[in-house]
Amino acid sequence: MILQIEAKKCKRTGFLPAVLLAACAASAFPILNMLVRAETFTAMAGTPFDILTDANWQMMAMLNMVLVICGACLMYHTEFADNGIQKMDVLPVRAGSLFFGKFVLLVLALCGMLLLETAVLTGCAAHWFPAYTWTFSETLQSAGFQLILTLPTVMLMLWVASACKNMWVSLGIGVILVFVMTILPQDSTVLQLFPFNTPYKTLATVQGAGDVPLFLGICGAETVAFGLFEFVFLQIRRWYA
Amino acid sequence: MSFCSLLSIEFLKLKRSKIGLLLLAPVVMMWVPSVLNADMNFDTRGIAIAPEYNFFIQGFMGMVWFMLPASLVICTVLLTQTERANKGLLKMLSLPVSPAKLCLVKFLILLLLAVAQLGMTICAYYISAAAASHIQGYDFLLDPLFVLRVAACLYAGAIPMAAVFWMLATLVRTPIFSVGIGLASIVPSVLVLNTKIWFLYPMSYPFYLLMTEYGKAAPGVYETQVQWLPWLPVAVGITILALAIAALRFGATERRA
Amino acid sequence: MNMIETQNLCKAYGDFTAVSDLNLHIQKGRVYGFLGPNGAGKSTTMKMFLGLTNPTSGSFQIDGKHYPADRVAILKEVGSFIEAPAFYGNLSGEENLEIIRRILGLPKSSVREALELVGLTQFRKRAAKKYSLGMKQRLGLAGALIGRPPILILDEPTNGLDPVGIHEIRTLIRSLPKQYDCTVLVSSHLLSEVELMADDIGILNHGRLLFEGTANDLKIRARDEGYPTDNLEEIFLAMIDEDNRKRGAGQ
Repeated sequence: MILQIEAKKCKRTGFLPAVLLAACAASAFPILNMLVRAETFTAMAGTPFDILTDANWQMMAMLNMVLVICGACLMYHTEFADNGIQKMDVLPVRAGSLFFGKFVLLVLALCGMLLLETAVLTGCAAHWFPAYTWTFSETLQSAGFQLILTLPTVMLMLWVASACKNMWVSLGIGVILVFVMTILPQDSTVLQLFPFNTPYKTLATVQGAGDVPLFLGICGAETVAFGLFEFVFLQIRRWYA
Repeated sequence: MSFCSLLSIEFLKLKRSKIGLLLLAPVVMMWVPSVLNADMNFDTRGIAIAPEYNFFIQGFMGMVWFMLPASLVICTVLLTQTERANKGLLKMLSLPVSPAKLCLVKFLILLLLAVAQLGMTICAYYISAAAASHIQGYDFLLDPLFVLRVAACLYAGAIPMAAVFWMLATLVRTPIFSVGIGLASIVPSVLVLNTKIWFLYPMSYPFYLLMTEYGKAAPGVYETQVQWLPWLPVAVGITILALAIAALRFGATERRA
Repeated sequence: MNMIETQNLCKAYGDFTAVSDLNLHIQKGRVYGFLGPNGAGKSTTMKMFLGLTNPTSGSFQIDGKHYPADRVAILKEVGSFIEAPAFYGNLSGEENLEIIRRILGLPKSSVREALELVGLTQFRKRAAKKYSLGMKQRLGLAGALIGRPPILILDEPTNGLDPVGIHEIRTLIRSLPKQYDCTVLVSSHLLSEVELMADDIGILNHGRLLFEGTANDLKIRARDEGYPTDNLEEIFLAMIDEDNRKRGAGQ
């Protein structure tokens, strides 16, 4: 039920068009890249799918994160703008269900985006590398892996958005976080496990390093931790309201 | 009402908006790691570049590639939201002020905020370069004239981009879309820079200017001369067009409703 | 029987005390007018009842339930309207109520009923951000009245309404306890208004309760203490003035 309500709140806010737009923009990268520089990539050694993710995922992941940031800010902006959240606070719902409704909604949107993106990557691989035989499981595995790696980012960003009434503050924090993660040196494993940094990792590179269980485990733990953090935060906030 | 008094009014509106903090945060977060990793500047990975230039270029690269455009986008949100949140703009439009003038003043505020961040960046560069020099026992400090010139060029190169973002913010009423489009447009700027039509894409101008500086400091990395033609006329054209559209459409929805 | 009761309820923000040692007794099935000048602590008290802010000390019970242990149970029984109307600007009036309806688990008809009650039926499809101030206020009230909760907490519900609207809402509030046996806590800074709606009156100034009782009690007390008695509004002003003078002398 809470999910239905959260979905309803997003009506006319432009959430869905934003998701579609971002998904299309992200999916355009590999296509454009192949249209312009197909020879460069077809000459490379390795699995076509991995070549394409290597070449494009950085930017696609970044767009996904931009969407997560904008989506989280948007959802909480509709709450704060006309004081809707206050009405929610005085209705008999468990504290935090509003937050988790938003989380699930954002994850679902992200799910759709990732599926489309990996499908386009697979499609490009199949189109430009005639010898390539693709499988459903490979595409799904890749999409699922990216989804889990993005979960901590979603959770953290939603927390930031729920904590700041001013949309541009949460937006600023999100953008700064994305930025800081891109300029930090990438050779430390600990740093790589930070939210806003994990979404850049591709399944192939993590598999190559044999770190798949590590990444999945840590990302799962981070997601749960940030979720609990939000719950505690909601309790504490009542003292200062 | 004179331009200057309008400007001072707009500054007043920024009071207590904590915008300074938001401009400062990325500057600090970007230079602290570069001090901590100062030793990496000696490992130039086969590129013939002096460590002090490497320190400068690497530091500014993150800035112009992402943080400068993103700061501009966020500032446009701040400027439009303060007006729209409590219908402040409606009040402004009911006062004897020309909307176009108001729009341009606000754009000027945007540029001044960028200049403020430029100032912070230069200060942060000198502080962190001094710190890195102390830690590494190597002089990372560059000639202030050089630093000022390059930094000023980078920010001048950002003006067309700022104009486009400002136009987006005035045209697209849903803030999330103006921000989303703005941020998303930053992502492929490096990719566009590698194509022949980079001069049509304002988001890549500052990065282009920094790359030519890189080219001068490390021979063979990039072009050493700025291709003024056809870039300059195109950039000026984009700026004027964007500002004209913004000025014409400024407050249009408020006036209609 | 007391529907809402507080024991030495306090709320302090830093060194500013918004509510101090408040002991309220709101009886079941009556309209309680909560009176005080702006900034007296009325909204803060109501926000504490709704769990929007935690008391610094003291406690309260609503229908025998304690906060914070029974927060959800309390909120299930309370319809509320706090300060500026709270709503989602992008949704229509009907959709705003639909959200509340679903959370409260009410039948579908309750939305229509609530809209009719406040006279918004013909504007139900319009986006709430395009509502006039009075319509926003009515939407807020509809959100409080929906599902006929046994307790209503209304913070200055007639703010921003025109005289006709004020009269309508007053009559509505006045009729609620008889219509479906509910208890109403309504705040205002106008005694003349409270007098018309309320059975009991509580007067608050600088976070302290100066008086609690019926309008008649108030007149009696005013006579005993030598205030002008012909006009309740003057009694109220004189009481506040006297209290402010005492506070000024104490400091």
